[in-house]
Amino acid sequence: MVSDGLRLSRFRSRWQRLWSEHRELVTIYAILGVLILIGMIALPAFRSPRNLFNVLRQAVALGLVSMGQTLAVLVGGIDLSVGSTISLIGVYTTGLMAQYASPGAVVLIVVAMIAIALIIGLANAFVITRLHVAPFIATMGVGAIIQGFVLLYAKRPGGAIAPGWDFFAEGMIGPVPFPVVFLLLLVALAFFFLRKTVAGRHVAATGGSEVIARLSGIQTRRVTAYAFMISAFTAALTGLYLTSRMGAGDPLMGGLNYDRYDLDSVTAVLLGGTRLGGGKGGVVGTLAGVLLVSLLNNLFNLAGINPYIQWIIKGLIVVSAVAIYAIRKQGEAT
Amino acid sequence: MRKPGQLVGRGVIPSADKGKALPSVKAEMSVAQSLVEMRNITMTFPGVTALDDVSFESRPGEVHAVVGENGAGKSTLMKILAGVYQPDRGEILLGGQPVRISSPHEAQRLGISIIYQELNLLPDLTVAENVFLGREPRRALGLIDDRTLEDGAREVLNRLGVDIDPRMRLGRLSVAQQQMVEIAKALSLNAQIVIMDEPSASLGGRDLERLFDVIAALKKNNVAVIYISHRLAEVFQVADRVTVFKDGKVVGTQAVSDIDRPSLVRMMIGRTLSETFPPRGKRVGEEILRVEGLCCGEKLTAVSLTVHRGEIVGIAGLVGSGRTELAQAIFGARRTDGGVVRIKGRKVSIESPRHGLQHKLGFLTEDRNLEGLVMGLSVRENAALPSLKGRQRFGFVDRKAEDKVVGGMAESLRIRAPSLSQEVEYLSGGTRQKVVLAKWLISGPELLIFDEPTRGIDVGAKAEIWQLMRDLADQGKAILMISSELPEIVGISDRILVMHRGSMVGELPSEAATEEKVMMLATYGESHGE
Repeated sequence: MVSDGLRLSRFRSRWQRLWSEHRELVTIYAILGVLILIGMIALPAFRSPRNLFNVLRQAVALGLVSMGQTLAVLVGGIDLSVGSTISLIGVYTTGLMAQYASPGAVVLIVVAMIAIALIIGLANAFVITRLHVAPFIATMGVGAIIQGFVLLYAKRPGGAIAPGWDFFAEGMIGPVPFPVVFLLLLVALAFFFLRKTVAGRHVAATGGSEVIARLSGIQTRRVTAYAFMISAFTAALTGLYLTSRMGAGDPLMGGLNYDRYDLDSVTAVLLGGTRLGGGKGGVVGTLAGVLLVSLLNNLFNLAGINPYIQWIIKGLIVVSAVAIYAIRKQGEAT
Repeated sequence: MRKPGQLVGRGVIPSADKGKALPSVKAEMSVAQSLVEMRNITMTFPGVTALDDVSFESRPGEVHAVVGENGAGKSTLMKILAGVYQPDRGEILLGGQPVRISSPHEAQRLGISIIYQELNLLPDLTVAENVFLGREPRRALGLIDDRTLEDGAREVLNRLGVDIDPRMRLGRLSVAQQQMVEIAKALSLNAQIVIMDEPSASLGGRDLERLFDVIAALKKNNVAVIYISHRLAEVFQVADRVTVFKDGKVVGTQAVSDIDRPSLVRMMIGRTLSETFPPRGKRVGEEILRVEGLCCGEKLTAVSLTVHRGEIVGIAGLVGSGRTELAQAIFGARRTDGGVVRIKGRKVSIESPRHGLQHKLGFLTEDRNLEGLVMGLSVRENAALPSLKGRQRFGFVDRKAEDKVVGGMAESLRIRAPSLSQEVEYLSGGTRQKVVLAKWLISGPELLIFDEPTRGIDVGAKAEIWQLMRDLADQGKAILMISSELPEIVGISDRILVMHRGSMVGELPSEAATEEKVMMLATYGESHGE
């Protein structure tokens, strides 16, 4: 017989453990809940199913790329080339699909796009681990190179998608949009990778301390390469998803124009509790960060806030999120 | 336990009479028996020869202690054995076969494991993940076998006799517990050769005994243990043989049973450098600094001291004994949790380096390249940095005033730079130290703290720095000097304070101080007769 008191104390100790081990995670999901509640109560337009689906569709685009960004940050880096990668994949995909639209061609195109992404990730890793350029600068430089290729290929929006390709963004599985299922599968996969595979654990270990990881016999260059390849891979997924959603390509679809996926994905990752500088964090937190960013975007739009002011607010959020963690870390150290 | 007569553990350790075998027999055995042999190893870093033609061997079932001053080359040799560094010359034989240890990974594969001096653990991983980091038990598809991981960690922790939950996040453990995890990590490799680089630095009492039990068990299993320690009592307690390093060379190897404490200390310090120290000062004036019962976590325990005008007070002690922490606490760069600091008799609270400056303290840190100078800035800019305030006009730096002050200082300190606009990164170590000194002197301090004032400086420049320190004292400054170099401590201090594990364990007036006495205090924490 378990008394109620004992059950309660057990519950309490579990809750305490959850709180002490996953403080960031609990906090961010709580904030997310509060924000949804506010939206539901304050803005009637927010709770319409149409709008909610819209939030989710936006969240998927950001969510896919943020999964990879999580790994890039976790390994001790940052990937600022994802925006241009998204644009590149977007214009190439729509450019090719405008000419080759058979199902076989679509498969080939997708495979080719993923191959391109993996090469981009490898290039980032090469510049970082072999040429010893700080990840921030390395990926910014690689991103600029990619953007150049994008604009060489397409100067304005254009291209087309193959018939049926819109299923990626618009399709439904029962009552649930297919992209939502797709994102959740990717989150689960990334979670599993980080928690259960040797390579995944080595990502966090390398981010925790490259030196210690290396002294423990981990091949840290290879691990860094995995992380940046996965980051580019998920950026490609976002690129593919956006082509499906927009039905066309746009040389600025990954950045500059409306959504800045570089900044937004880093914001989502950091809001999700992954430590800038690496070693700690995960995709479950990032998912919350993604939803938070998408929700904020949506609420701002519904409330009619000037997009430039939105930028200011987003910048403030990134800086404060990092500052809060930094201050807390300092507190722990002394 | 520390008395030399009762030294120690001989009855505890199983093969106690091993060391009593006849020397000739042993010499033959060593040829046949050595498990690892390093021959004629030479290793240079830019500007320093860390190891100069060093040979070293270690046998199965034997604890081979390695001792020597800081920078003698012990850790470098061990890092070569662990695959961290590649030697410039020399060869390594393992079981008689030449091997190349190209990486830490390769060392592990060859059955060599090392416990590094500094902790090599990740605070965000669990204990078990740390123990098996880089060698996680796998199932198919690169998946981690968490069950085996935890069981394996638990098993090796049990072997150590410590009660630590392997699922605990490492960062939540105490430093001593983390040290035990580090040891567990090395043991889990089941290596034939276990190197311990000052494993006891953060261990005390029961944990230390457990460590010694583990070493005894390793011996019984025919593992070759290499044990680096500063604490000589431990060497006599656990080791069979001891090798002494000095200045990148091996002074000698002795069976522990053939050597006594004083002769080991003599081997460690007996140097023949003809170093010229300035004559002692005569005038000791008023008290500038008085510290009473200063505490700082585990680093400092009730430390008290005084420094007077015109006096150089040397603080000796091993690395990790709390010397630097003491200096930081006095200067305001480290939070304290108890004790009183008085300056000229007045109680003050110095909570930041800024306060330290206001109370006319100057702190020349150990690492002047990182903490003392801004490499890309010129001599003038560096020297004027902390005292900019007095030389501003409407918020702009008054270059003329700056030139005048720094120029005068550069002259009196004999700073040899082509010009004051020279960037400091192109200056020699000795000149850099003078720039740091100039920087502090311009702010007009009454007490100067020097942390390792001559580290990395060549011999000629050392003498010059010492002379400068003496001149400053004669001009009425109070000087507190931290140094690991015994000749320096004994050579220029008017009074010597010795620290051991965060406490002040002795004070020697300069007339009575010898390197031996200081070393004894620093390594044992108490003096023995003499």
